[in-house]
Amino acid sequence: MSDMQVKADAVDVEAIMRQIRARVREKRGVDYTEGEVQELAKVKLEQFLDPKGVRSDLVEQFRRRRPVSAAPPNYAFEDDTIYATHRGLLRTMRRLLNPLLKLLFNPQPIAEALHIQSKVNADYHERFRQSQEMDTLYYELAHNLALEVTRLGIEVHNLKMRAESLSSRMDFDERRGRALESVVQYRPPQPRQSPPPAPRPQPPAPTTLVPPPSSSPASAPAQSLAVDGTTPPAPGTESANAGDAERRRRRRRRRRRPGQTMGDQNGATSGAPAEAETADWVAEGGHESSDAGPDEQ
Amino acid sequence: MKIAVVVQRYGAGINGGAELHARYIAERLSRHATVEVLTTCAKDYLTWKNEWPVGTETIRKVTVRRFPVSKPRDTADFGRRSAGVFDHTHSLNDELQWLDSEGPRSPSLIAHLHKVRDDFDFFLFFSARYYHAWHGARAVHGKAILVPTAERDPAVGLSMFGPLFRGVRAIMYNSLEERALINGVSANQSVPGVVVGVGSEIPDRTQPWRVRKKFNLKRPFAVYIGRIDENKGCKTLFDYFERYTREFPRGLDLVLIGNAVLKVPNHPRIRSLGFLSDEDKFDALAAADLLIMPSPYESLSMVALEAWALGKPVLANGQCDVLRGQVVRSNGGLYYDSYDEFAESMFALEGSGPIGAVLGRQGREFFRRHYAWSVIEKRYLEMFDKLKRDTATSTPEPWPGWWARRQKNLPPARRVVDNVPSGPVLR
Repeated sequence: MSDMQVKADAVDVEAIMRQIRARVREKRGVDYTEGEVQELAKVKLEQFLDPKGVRSDLVEQFRRRRPVSAAPPNYAFEDDTIYATHRGLLRTMRRLLNPLLKLLFNPQPIAEALHIQSKVNADYHERFRQSQEMDTLYYELAHNLALEVTRLGIEVHNLKMRAESLSSRMDFDERRGRALESVVQYRPPQPRQSPPPAPRPQPPAPTTLVPPPSSSPASAPAQSLAVDGTTPPAPGTESANAGDAERRRRRRRRRRRPGQTMGDQNGATSGAPAEAETADWVAEGGHESSDAGPDEQ
Repeated sequence: MKIAVVVQRYGAGINGGAELHARYIAERLSRHATVEVLTTCAKDYLTWKNEWPVGTETIRKVTVRRFPVSKPRDTADFGRRSAGVFDHTHSLNDELQWLDSEGPRSPSLIAHLHKVRDDFDFFLFFSARYYHAWHGARAVHGKAILVPTAERDPAVGLSMFGPLFRGVRAIMYNSLEERALINGVSANQSVPGVVVGVGSEIPDRTQPWRVRKKFNLKRPFAVYIGRIDENKGCKTLFDYFERYTREFPRGLDLVLIGNAVLKVPNHPRIRSLGFLSDEDKFDALAAADLLIMPSPYESLSMVALEAWALGKPVLANGQCDVLRGQVVRSNGGLYYDSYDEFAESMFALEGSGPIGAVLGRQGREFFRRHYAWSVIEKRYLEMFDKLKRDTATSTPEPWPGWWARRQKNLPPARRVVDNVPSGPVLR
């Protein structure tokens, strides 16, 4: 990702805005204007993308809408069904006249067809009943899938946001780091509050300059002190000096902690030392507001 | 030279934009001329209730004469009439009734203007949209100078303001965008006009550490100064900022200064300090990394000018033509049209960022060049001299008759304003 390019003392706002828009395009892929976003919103695209839009009450919906399906009417059709009657005399007459009927046309295929149809109807009803039971299962399955899709959708959304956040933080830190580096690079060197003593001709190096092969890294500070011309510490005080140096380093690091401001410094201490510390910190590129008036800034 | 400043409200404690503008101008002009302020007894701009006594007093060496408001505003009636004239075809009579309903209706002030017309050289009317300006400019025709403080809202498109904009002796505009808008709705290019704006009372020295300590502001922050109101774009600002805090956990905090009409979100990185004294306000501004101006409607942002005077960059809502134009012309800040631009601009403008200080410096130069008091006073005095030399008299436009005033043939004001080209004036 490119950094903001500032090449002159005077900057052009429109040029910066073009850079910002380019950066946004780079980050988002597409640069929609507010108007275009409004247009998209009108299409209700979110209804399709938002996992919250998936219906998760399919089973309830199905059960509510499912009709109470009673068995459809059917009939039993046998060979003698067309002659059947509860009146005995009539049944006898039909049987007597049956040969005459068969002389005119053959009712047997009709009876067989209706018999088969009756069986088909019964079979169809059975299959329909089984299908309805399967539908319930399918709806249960769809419901579970919808729930899973919803969960996954939310999880993906969260992960995306997290990734975006991490990416932004990293980008932010990187750019802040570069900005601070550039400030440090181009600032004229400023004198420290307590400048180190001017270098002076060193006396012949003491024998401690060459560390003994068995010397441990902890003895390094003592050696450097000896190089500066100071008296090497006694073995008993060596660890104490090392501890002091470590504490000083820690204090310096605390002073340079990002986000800490003059207000912190003043909150902790007051008077000239705090200002001196802040001046140091500003010289190192830290954030600080000037307390000078408009004409003095 | 004797000048009357006519404004709807006036007082040392009133911080409304146009009223503060009027007070600053009155106090500054009083160094060069005899200035008298003619105003009402109202203190609250929503109700216009009479809260100050009728009569004369002196505020910061300026004589102030107050007149009673005849009736307070009926908010429901005003809202109904506003909808009628802004969104529907209407008559001139409807517009006049809207003006009465808006207030502050003060016939005694207008009567006084008729009476003292010859006692003053010029009458400076602030805020074109109010009763006192419209009726007052007609009462002192030929001596009226208008400071419209007009925003791009539908009221400017009302037909009755056309004769006002064309009939005054001169117009002191706040910005190029305001002039373009008024020229667009009223075709008053022939009226002498100059873009002046207003300066501000910038302290010689600020103490940012003091306000940091007083309010325990430890982290770098952006500041918003003004009424915390949805109409000022604060709701969008809160939405954007909360999103920004999620993406940039170590970015800037947001500090709000001003009375809250809108509920401020309970967020660890948003601090509302309430209404502050000028000293605290300027110290906070000096302590901030930048000023945010989220308002979509402004005729001139005095706070933005104050920020520039202190060398602070401004992040403005790009939907506001005036702010966007000022930001671009001054090279003293950035603007945003979307959240992404907002977040990127926040990063770019923060103190440790690469360009905030440069933009702040350019903003300060812009302020010095255009809004220093010496520049403002000079432009006013030059205009007075020019008008004094120009003895040409104009006759007021004829007023429609009784029947014509009741003809419902005027277009909705909103449509009139929408038809005027928008956007910042960059050249």
